Amino acid sequence: MAGRAREAIERFFSSPLGPLAWLFGIACGLGAVGVGALVVIEGGLFNATASTPHIAAVGLAAHTAFVRSVEVRARNIKAPTPFAASQVMAGFHDYDASCVACHGAPGVSNAAWAHAMTPPPPYLEDAARRWRPRELYWIVGQGVKMTAMPAWAEVRSDGEVWNLVAFLEALPYLSASDYARMRAKAKPASGGQAAPPLPS
Amino acid sequence: MTPNQGWKRFPRRLGPATVLALASAAMLGACVRRPAEPTWAKFGGDPGRGAVLVGRFSCGACHQIAGVQNANGQVGPPLSTFASRTMIAGVLPNTPENLVRWLRHPQSIVPGNAMPDVGLSDLQARDIAAYLYRDR
Repeated sequence: MAGRAREAIERFFSSPLGPLAWLFGIACGLGAVGVGALVVIEGGLFNATASTPHIAAVGLAAHTAFVRSVEVRARNIKAPTPFAASQVMAGFHDYDASCVACHGAPGVSNAAWAHAMTPPPPYLEDAARRWRPRELYWIVGQGVKMTAMPAWAEVRSDGEVWNLVAFLEALPYLSASDYARMRAKAKPASGGQAAPPLPS
Repeated sequence: MTPNQGWKRFPRRLGPATVLALASAAMLGACVRRPAEPTWAKFGGDPGRGAVLVGRFSCGACHQIAGVQNANGQVGPPLSTFASRTMIAGVLPNTPENLVRWLRHPQSIVPGNAMPDVGLSDLQARDIAAYLYRDR
C-alpha cells in the first residue's frame, strides 16, 4: 500500500508536467483567494458601520489577533512592579479624566455614546486578571487598531502610562464606594484643570 | 364487626401532612418553572434585540454569558442560566418585572454595588430580560 503510494508520488514528480501542474494548482488557489478578497473589498461587501456588530467569525478572528499581538509584543517588557500607592492615585486621576467615558468604573457607567461604538469598549474591573502588567502597559501605550483605543504613549510619558497600569492593577480591589470616595476627594482640590497633589 | 368495611382503610380526607406535602411540591414546581405564558405576552421584550444590547452595553465584560462573544467576565455572576436563578443580586426575587427594575437601576436597589446604572430605557431592559430568560 505504502509502496504503491510512493510509486504514484514518484511518478507524479518524475513526469515532465508533474511539478508544473502542482505549481499551477497552487497559483490558481492563491489567485482565487486574491480575487475573493478583491470582490469583498472593492464590492463593499464588508459592512464597516459601527451600528452593526461584527459577524461572529470576524469578531473572533479580530479579537484573537489582538490578544496574540499583545502577548507576543509585550513579551520582553519588564514591568516596574510593585507599584507605589502614589502611582495608583496618579493613575486614578488620569483614568477618571481620560478613560472613564469609554470604560466606566466600579458603579460608574461609561458614556451613552460609548454604547454606540463597535467593538464596545469593555469595563476594566477585571482587566488585571486577564492581562499581565506588561501587557496592560502595551495596550494602554500602543492602543488597539480599529477599536478607537488611542496609543496613549503618544500623549503621555512612560511613567504616566505605568501609573495607569498601576491603577488598573488596583481596580479589582476597588468597590464602587471606594471609587466614589476617591472621586469626591479629588473634585474639590482639582479646580477643573490640573490633578490635585497626590496623597501618599 | 360488620362486613365490607374495607373502604374505611382508605383515608376519607387528606391529612394535614399530606396537604402540606402536596402544597410544597406545587410551590416548588411553580418556583422552578418560568412565569406562565400570558405574562410573557404582555412583557414586551424581544430576545433578538436583547442580544445586541447585551453586546452594546458591554455586559460581557463583567458577566459570563453563553452565546455572546467575549462575554467571559468574572466580576459579577454568570448569566448563562439566569432563568433558573432564584434571587437577583441576592435581594430581589427573580421575576421579569424585578429583573427590569434591577437592570435599569441597580444602584438604587443595592447602592454602592459594582454594577452601574447604564441608562437603559424600559424597553431596552425588557429586551435584555427577554434575552436572559430565553429558551436555551
